[in-house]
Amino acid sequence: MEMLSSLLLIFLIGAITTYFVDSINRKFTGIIAFLFVLLGSLFFYSNIHIGDVFVFQLGGIEMQWGINDYSYYFSYIVLGLGVLALLYSIKYIEGKARQGYFYASFLLTILGMIGVIISQDFVSLFIFWEIMTWASFLLVIYNAYYKVKTKGIKYMIFSAIGAYAMLTAIVFIKEHYNTLLIGEAIERGAFNFQQYRYIPIFLLLGFGIKAAVMPFHVWAPAAYSKSPMSFTTIFSGAMSKMGIFGIGLVLSTFYLQHNPENFYWVKLALGWLGGITAVMGTLYALIQVDAKKLLAYSSIAQLGYIVVGLSTGTKLGVMAALYLAVLHAIFKGALFMVAGAVERQVGTTDMTKVSGLIRRMPWTFFVALVSIIALAGIPPLGGFVGKWLLYEALITESNNYFLVIVIFFSSTAAFLYSYRFLFGLFLGQEEKETEHVKEAPISMLIPMLILGIGSIIIGSFPGLIFEPAAKAMQAIGFKDVTWQMSLLSNIWGNTTHLFLISMLIFSVFIIAFLFLTLKGLKKTRYVGTKEISTSGELPKEWENFTFQHNFFKPFERAASPLYHLNMNRIWKDLGKNTEAFFGFFRKLYTGNGQTYALYVIIFLVLLLLFKDVIFS
Amino acid sequence: MVITPVHYIVVPLLAAFAIPLLTKIYKDAARLIPGIVLFYNIIVSFNLLKYVNEHGIISETIAGWQAPWGINLVITPFTGFLASMVSVLGFIIWLYGYRFKRTLKGGLVKYYEILQMMMIAGSIGVIITGDLFNMFVFIEIVGISAYSLTAFYRGRDGAEASFKYLLIGSFASTFLLLGILIIYTQTGTLNMAQIAERMHEVPQHMKIIALIFFLISLGIEAEMFPLNGWAPDAYSQAPSPTSATFAAVVSIAGVYALIRVLFTLFDVPVNNYLMIMGFVTMLVAEIAAISQKDLKRMLAYSSIGQVGLVLIAFGIGSKLAVFGALFLMLNHAVIKSLLFMTGSYFIYNTDNKKLKSLNGIHKRLPLVSFFFSLGALAIVGFPPFAGFWSKFYILIAAGDARHVYLIVGVLGVTIIELTYYLRIVGRIYFAKEEEEPASHKPSINAIIAMSALALFILVIGVYPDLIMQPLNQAADALLNKTHYINQILSLN
Repeated sequence: MEMLSSLLLIFLIGAITTYFVDSINRKFTGIIAFLFVLLGSLFFYSNIHIGDVFVFQLGGIEMQWGINDYSYYFSYIVLGLGVLALLYSIKYIEGKARQGYFYASFLLTILGMIGVIISQDFVSLFIFWEIMTWASFLLVIYNAYYKVKTKGIKYMIFSAIGAYAMLTAIVFIKEHYNTLLIGEAIERGAFNFQQYRYIPIFLLLGFGIKAAVMPFHVWAPAAYSKSPMSFTTIFSGAMSKMGIFGIGLVLSTFYLQHNPENFYWVKLALGWLGGITAVMGTLYALIQVDAKKLLAYSSIAQLGYIVVGLSTGTKLGVMAALYLAVLHAIFKGALFMVAGAVERQVGTTDMTKVSGLIRRMPWTFFVALVSIIALAGIPPLGGFVGKWLLYEALITESNNYFLVIVIFFSSTAAFLYSYRFLFGLFLGQEEKETEHVKEAPISMLIPMLILGIGSIIIGSFPGLIFEPAAKAMQAIGFKDVTWQMSLLSNIWGNTTHLFLISMLIFSVFIIAFLFLTLKGLKKTRYVGTKEISTSGELPKEWENFTFQHNFFKPFERAASPLYHLNMNRIWKDLGKNTEAFFGFFRKLYTGNGQTYALYVIIFLVLLLLFKDVIFS
Repeated sequence: MVITPVHYIVVPLLAAFAIPLLTKIYKDAARLIPGIVLFYNIIVSFNLLKYVNEHGIISETIAGWQAPWGINLVITPFTGFLASMVSVLGFIIWLYGYRFKRTLKGGLVKYYEILQMMMIAGSIGVIITGDLFNMFVFIEIVGISAYSLTAFYRGRDGAEASFKYLLIGSFASTFLLLGILIIYTQTGTLNMAQIAERMHEVPQHMKIIALIFFLISLGIEAEMFPLNGWAPDAYSQAPSPTSATFAAVVSIAGVYALIRVLFTLFDVPVNNYLMIMGFVTMLVAEIAAISQKDLKRMLAYSSIGQVGLVLIAFGIGSKLAVFGALFLMLNHAVIKSLLFMTGSYFIYNTDNKKLKSLNGIHKRLPLVSFFFSLGALAIVGFPPFAGFWSKFYILIAAGDARHVYLIVGVLGVTIIELTYYLRIVGRIYFAKEEEEPASHKPSINAIIAMSALALFILVIGVYPDLIMQPLNQAADALLNKTHYINQILSLN
């Protein structure tokens, strides 16, 4: 039995088994699903090696599955996060209805993702892409359908647009290059903007929608925040990376095969799309009241950085993107788990209602803190390294200084929502309602802690990621990533160099922290005569003076012109107009027999009149 | 050879006359005999298809009368494939409807069973006949059975739908007869092979006029826009097994008749016409489907949309496209029957046919809901289900022919299709349940029928190679016109 197909078989059997086990005994469903994914991952890392290829014929089409360094790199994200997310699910989803359905779809989603990364021909890529999509759709509607029933459909429609754009590209690749194997298509120049421009554009559209790039991101906030959190971990952490996987493949191949200077517009357009995604994602994350939605928008913003990194097409930029991809999977996975834990223990993630959980859920807070630091890019955690690489790539290699400013603005603004998340849920006043709240169960804490500690390790020793990332880049055609790249080898060949920078900036933060703490150490605060916030009255005990309400109102007011650029509204209008247009067509079927008879006669007359035109 | 194509016609006709008599002796004969007949059809079909694929075309002249006076029945890999498909689906639909109206007193069920059987037998007749006038006769047999079945419930709506169907159907008969008349006056024969052979002698303007009459009349049978006004009403008012038959059998026969006439008889290029009209049919049908509030009407419009795609694929005309079109016909027949079967259980369990009443129905009908969702995913063309492959081959064929706009258009329409199907899947599983009426669980025969179709969807979806060879031979047989003519003329 071929190893790669047995790997997929494990997940398939797992999905079917869990579905049926659930109707026999609900207690074991989660554990069995977890064991299957664990088995699959162990099987993958013990039996499957880089370079394995499996070729077969299906439906008269040559299919090829295989593993190279690039796909191996992404398998860490999918399988690593998959195992942790399922472990987390066991307790998270406990007691909810339709667990068999949930876990079966979950395993099918992971199967789809594994399939996507091992596909080496376009047909199986598309097949697995679609399996991944519909399986995840089933999970998106799991929670959301009866609340907001359009959300799941919105996700599906956008996914379908992406998938069909990809299918169109595949059909054209078959027609123009006469191959369906990805490797051969690359060799023959299929990802080339020069010859058939629409092929790479359609492919990028297909992958870009999964990676939630503006203006096709509108499905993401709702889909991410309404799905069960244990699934969002994978959804935002790993599935969006499938889009990145594809974009990286297309773009780097294109840049490596051709002189990108002639296609400056490609670089510019993608870079700016990524940049705008990052800024708008961040801005929208700022004004969210629900922690889950905040994280969803933050995911969009982070994916924007990765796209910017890929759009440079240089070694440094792609390296930054790949590094950020793994890092984002780790910290955003952890943060969604945190949100899920809060949701499970408290019942809501509304930041105006929940506060002061630090004493109740200290471990969760620790994970949240570490992940937020990684997200914000404060050394010594990983976000700093990623962003440093990204800035360096943009400044030294692309000369696109405006983009640097945009990214810098976005990552600075990210501090604001990071703070809000941390403060809103964990700091601030302790409420009476949250007194009974307990720490999340141990099986939820373990994956969270693993991810938290993971982001510390990866931040401190970025070389751990750089090494497989360099191999992955070589697999998609970059040559001599380690040695001839002066800037990158500067960082690696001399790891202390980076460490020094980290430490330097870290100490600045420490000093600032100490300074602010000491400054704020005064115990009593005297209210000046001009302070009128309470109009001279004594505030009552229950009056809410916490930051949670209208947290960034002044900022929101200042940035209000930007908030008017609401893509969601544009799409909604488009949808409405289309439906009105459809309504017109629909009236052709009047339900009246005489009209139908008239149609027949009219059609006959038309055919007779225009017979010379039609049948010539 | 013991089994000949004549069995297709003789056995059902005999049974149709025998059923009223035998019912007097044994009450359940009306139910059982059609099943036996349809099962016998399957045996005949598979034997003939196997023989044809090994030994070449069969042409059976009835009672020894040679063309142009006599009638001949032709089995090629193409017609054999379609006949087998229709037989199998006819049998499965019979199995599904075995307990249909079991409790109904009087002779109604008897008529239902006879008409249903005649509709399927007539469709097979349309497919296997080699004579143009005989095809007309079979189309009439199918039509008359279909009109009466549409009015089976005898309510106002049923009568109205049936009347519309009859009205448009009589247009079809008239024009078809006119077309046949012109062809006969010009070529002096009704045998299709002979007509095809002599077609180049026919003056161009006569040819075109005849072609237009055929396009109108067979376009009505094949549910082409704007001639398909009868279809949504008929589909939604007929009893559910009949709706499934309309989708899986009657529309297949209609498309076959159109394609046979256009591909074999005429030498006029109609590719662009088929592609454009197919696309318009598909677009308008899917647009109409998305705003439907009634499940069966929605499925009916979706059927029309699928037929539109089939016509597009035939219009592209390459080997791969015809292959894809046949594959899609097969998939459409299987999947749409499954959807009508499951859909009718939904309707059976609610007080009206509205989509709203499907909310949360999966708790009452878990298996049926699962089958419906499977069908919905499959018909939209999600891998790894059967519907994906047919759509994929058609798209590849369109790409090879460089029909860029067609590809974009078809995929765009698929998004509409996907929207309304997945809305229903979401509704079935996740919408809040309303009140809970008494539950009608599916009977065991219906479960077997639905499981067989679902199994087909899954197996073909994962391993399409099982069906590739007969499809390939069928596509070859359709496209190789000279071979068809020569074989039949020499066999006569």
